[in-house]
Amino acid sequence: MTTTVETSRENDGSIQGRSPRQIAWMRFKRNKVGMTAAAVSIALLSLSLFAPIVCKLLGIDPDTLNLEVLNTSGIPDLPNGGISLEHPLGLIPGTGRDLLAQLLYGSRISFMVAILTTFTSLTIGLFVGIIGGYFRGRVDSTLGRFTDFLLAFPSFFMIVALSEPMVKRIESTGIAQGNSARILFLVFFLSFFGWPGFSRLIRSQVLSLRERDFVTAAEAMGARRSRVILKELLPNVWAPVIVVVSLSLPGYLAAEAVFSFLGLGVQPPASTWGILLSNASRYVTVMPSFFLITAGSLVIVVLAFNLVGDALRDALDPRADR
Amino acid sequence: MYRFIGRRMFFAAITILIVSAVVFAIFSYLPFDPASLTCGQRCTPQIIEGNRIKLGFDKPIYEQYWLFLSGIFAGRTYGSGQAAFSCPAPSFGYSFNENACVTDMIKEAMPITINLAVGALIIWLVMGVGLGVLAAKFKNRWPDTSSSVFVLLGTSLPTFVTGLALLIWVSIKWKIIPMSLDGYVSALDNPGRWFMYFILPWITLAIAYAALYTRFTRAAVLDTLGEDYIRTARAKGVKERTVLFKHTLRAVLAPIITMAGLDFAGLIGGAIITETIFNLPGLGRLTLRSTYEFDLPVVLATTILAAVVVIVMNLIVDMLYAVLDPRVRI
Amino acid sequence: MSSISALRRVVVVTAASSLVISAALVAGSQVANAASSTPRTGGTLVLLEHEPRLDHLDPSRIYTGRDLAFMNSFHTRTLVAYNPVPGEAGANLVPDLATNTGIPSNSAKTWKFTLRPGTKFEDGTTITCEHIQYGASRVFATDVITDGPAYLLSWLDIPKDADGNSIYTGPYKNTPAGVAAYKKAVSCSKDNRTITFNLNKSVADFNYLGTYGTISPIQAKLDKGDAYDLLPQATGPYKIAHNNKTELLLVRNKYWSKSTDGFRTPYPDQVVIKFGLDEEVQDQIILGDSQPNAINFDGPLPTNKDKFFNDDALKNRRMNNSDPYANYNAFNVKKMPCLEVRAAVYYARNAKALLDYAGGPTYAGSYATGVISPLVATDYEPTKVVGPGSPDFMPEGNIPKAKALLEIAKTKCPADYKKATETGLVIDARQSSTLNDTIPINQAAYARAGIKVSYNIINSGYYSTVMNPAKQSDMTGSGWGADWANASTVIPELFASFGGFNLSQNDADPAYKAFEDKINVAMKTTDRKKQAAMWKALDKEAAKNFWVQPTVFGKAQEVWGSGLGGVFFWVPQGNPAYGKIWVKK
Repeated sequence: MTTTVETSRENDGSIQGRSPRQIAWMRFKRNKVGMTAAAVSIALLSLSLFAPIVCKLLGIDPDTLNLEVLNTSGIPDLPNGGISLEHPLGLIPGTGRDLLAQLLYGSRISFMVAILTTFTSLTIGLFVGIIGGYFRGRVDSTLGRFTDFLLAFPSFFMIVALSEPMVKRIESTGIAQGNSARILFLVFFLSFFGWPGFSRLIRSQVLSLRERDFVTAAEAMGARRSRVILKELLPNVWAPVIVVVSLSLPGYLAAEAVFSFLGLGVQPPASTWGILLSNASRYVTVMPSFFLITAGSLVIVVLAFNLVGDALRDALDPRADR
Repeated sequence: MYRFIGRRMFFAAITILIVSAVVFAIFSYLPFDPASLTCGQRCTPQIIEGNRIKLGFDKPIYEQYWLFLSGIFAGRTYGSGQAAFSCPAPSFGYSFNENACVTDMIKEAMPITINLAVGALIIWLVMGVGLGVLAAKFKNRWPDTSSSVFVLLGTSLPTFVTGLALLIWVSIKWKIIPMSLDGYVSALDNPGRWFMYFILPWITLAIAYAALYTRFTRAAVLDTLGEDYIRTARAKGVKERTVLFKHTLRAVLAPIITMAGLDFAGLIGGAIITETIFNLPGLGRLTLRSTYEFDLPVVLATTILAAVVVIVMNLIVDMLYAVLDPRVRI
Repeated sequence: MSSISALRRVVVVTAASSLVISAALVAGSQVANAASSTPRTGGTLVLLEHEPRLDHLDPSRIYTGRDLAFMNSFHTRTLVAYNPVPGEAGANLVPDLATNTGIPSNSAKTWKFTLRPGTKFEDGTTITCEHIQYGASRVFATDVITDGPAYLLSWLDIPKDADGNSIYTGPYKNTPAGVAAYKKAVSCSKDNRTITFNLNKSVADFNYLGTYGTISPIQAKLDKGDAYDLLPQATGPYKIAHNNKTELLLVRNKYWSKSTDGFRTPYPDQVVIKFGLDEEVQDQIILGDSQPNAINFDGPLPTNKDKFFNDDALKNRRMNNSDPYANYNAFNVKKMPCLEVRAAVYYARNAKALLDYAGGPTYAGSYATGVISPLVATDYEPTKVVGPGSPDFMPEGNIPKAKALLEIAKTKCPADYKKATETGLVIDARQSSTLNDTIPINQAAYARAGIKVSYNIINSGYYSTVMNPAKQSDMTGSGWGADWANASTVIPELFASFGGFNLSQNDADPAYKAFEDKINVAMKTTDRKKQAAMWKALDKEAAKNFWVQPTVFGKAQEVWGSGLGGVFFWVPQGNPAYGKIWVKK
């Protein structure tokens, strides 16, 4: 796990020197699957970010109802489930809204939850991991026991069980209401059970970095602890962090979908992929295309991010065999 | 050795106590009145007050917690006189929604979840370890490539997508495994029906885990194959098959068993999605339903139970390690 | 005292006093293979149910029409019952445990029922008047015996305390004075065969309450309060063999005998409800006829209705009938005091889109004209104020009218105008996946008139939340069906401040006082024709005041397998007469 430093030393020679970043980037570029997945991921993220513009360009709108084209079962009475130039992915049964626009707008909440959760758990993980790895001894073992405990906890189960009381609690404190309270709850508890993973990784990283000459040197020169941590340690843990981030983002995306699917996450009229999937599952026997497109989109996003994560790991840590 | 085990057990007991207290506190400090949930539409203040006393919500929280704990060992009676409802020990509370002792509800749900978890565990272990070993043995050849595709798909397909797809297509549309009316049957009573009842949920659960285990096994086997003692064995002319199965697999199996133990423990409470999609009346669905209905005593009990299973499983894994590897005893 | 989605109670349709029953009442109902062949004894009747249990089994607590139709057909005998025959005759009362359908005296303030000899509980104990006296007392234990009909609480001649609560508090905890008062109100003859109810007012159709298990025999020594709900004692032809998360199994009760029962014909050897099934699976089982002796206890899923009703091969295995519910959104008048705003909200709603979403006129029903359902034939008349028949009613919404009303409100009640158009109105709704679709439909509809709405989605304890004035939002989705064919079980329940289901909180409305006076007059009126005219007028008056936004008079569908015979619609219960179904061989 200490590749970045090692590689820089190995490459030290008469040939033009390269920073570890450049080397990693070179390796990443050579990975075709990774590059494609990265392109897809970035494209999807920006589609989601610029959903209003994209929808305007395509002439679709997430809120327009097309009730008149639905039959008595609520299915669009059009060829191919309403798939046409106007509606690239067809219409949603029940309300006749545009599926593509709904997917794009819905992804924004899903991505927001995933990104916020990753960010929060990463921050806590960094903090705890660096403290534990740097101070070692009793501090480390106490923190270690706590993280082990949380890691072993049935987190999904806890989040389901806690959802209703905690959302009510958040609402009663007046911090947020309705869907904001639900998003807050999801982000908070997903991070609460998610940070130990990050912290464990960062701790091991810091433990080995601590023994490096440059850290010892800094300490010997009388650098303050805060300086050692911020200037020497923090910049050197980014490689594994990037990998874990890219792997955990799709996990949280799917988690949001699951909770909304179970009716415990975001509530309508807001739209997320979980809500779309729960709708799709109601119509799956009469209009399987709705389910296939929605589930397929989720799988594509998760797959793309997973592939990027794998490629990044290969690029940043050639020893890790995958 | 015994001292180590004794100490671990003591810590586990303390942890269980702390967890149960924390969970209990979360479910007791509610921003609303739990007693007001206990009656239907004709809720008068008198009824609410009556139920508050009957269910013990009028007492301070530490006393409620004490009553909860003592109920586990001594049983508990709610209300008084003819309409009293008593739950014999071990009592985890009383569900005012279902007019039943929580213990009985858990007893009904438990076998289903255990059957589900055990079956899935067997499938994913066989698949995961098998594929992992194959992939390592034939590194960078087709078994490796195809297993890595499986790993990717397995880790990217959310359980509820796999589950729904299996239910809708395999069971409802193609009727390969038709849904039967008869709910859960024990494997001892009717193995055939038991198998048909569980096979799709097993597959749903197993796919995700099998992918993780394949990835892990492959890496671990490759790691071990690089170890000195394997090189020595090979140098001595030990057959490749013996190297793989006797020397390598044995070394790899210990961490896999640890992982499996913990994952299994997690499933006791964590199979909510699978149980929901396939309508299995197990612990996960019981919890989800009780969450929807705000049936607090049930959610409280199942949450504590899920945590206890994890802690106990951790303890067992720790002790196994201590037995297997003397260095662990610190 | 309950309502559509909380308890799927489906209810009574015709009145004792109304001998004229509208032919339209049963016109829509198909009486499928009722007499196509001879009934056969034996076999197992299977009912497919999605939920893991029935709401209640305790006779004192059942209130949903379907569960009443089920339990009273097989398990629980009551004093009187609806005659389980097809068509209008099904609404006639017949004696069950009693030898008559009740004898009123003292201008219907005293009701006497004499018991039939030879009736027994499943343990062989002979049923006496005391058992019924005990059974009827339980509803007073309001903390334990929840959810059942509560008419006895207000009708029995028992003194009330300062708070307006009965001084009798049920059999579990009570005072000697309370017990004495109860025994005076409900008394048994010396021979223990005749039970007398003394009421505090004239109730001309009291005997209709006798079809509910709230007046049924229960042995005091076996009553364990809440626990009785899981395993009540049988008095009918079947008893509960077991009741768990997977199934409720009913087997023959050897202490029941044909000679003591006027109408029950227990054909199947066993009756079993299979719980916790996937709704899609339930439909597929019936569609594919893989379990011919099964009936879908829930009715088909909306997405599958076309499959059932457009296929001629299934025409003997389905029925589609009006259900007795009038659905509405109650306006919380305390929060929306401005009549013009309430009216504007009514006119802005897109009734057609929502009806079509729910299945259109074929499956979902018709636009409501008030809160009294057409199935309460005697008391029904289109109000001509809302719904079809009103000049301003347009199925898609009358936007010009709504805008004009809002324009008036702008100057007349600016605060309410601002709330409707800027802050937004909040609507209480029960959690359901259909909200994913209906919320966008509603928001788009109201937006046409410039009205903003948002939703308060309630996951659990819907009615206990919205019936709490402190928690109720501006509008509340609800539905109500008459308990029997008299709007006395509708108008006072919904609109009187003493009613059990007043979600409108309309007693602050200036129009309320005069309205309540008229209710009191109507309730005392024993001339059924005059009373009917009063109910019609009151329905119209409530509509004019826009205390509720009437939406739909509902419909319900039932589907079953080819192995069942004798399935017909039991008009007063709004469900199949389950006790008449037999299993073909």
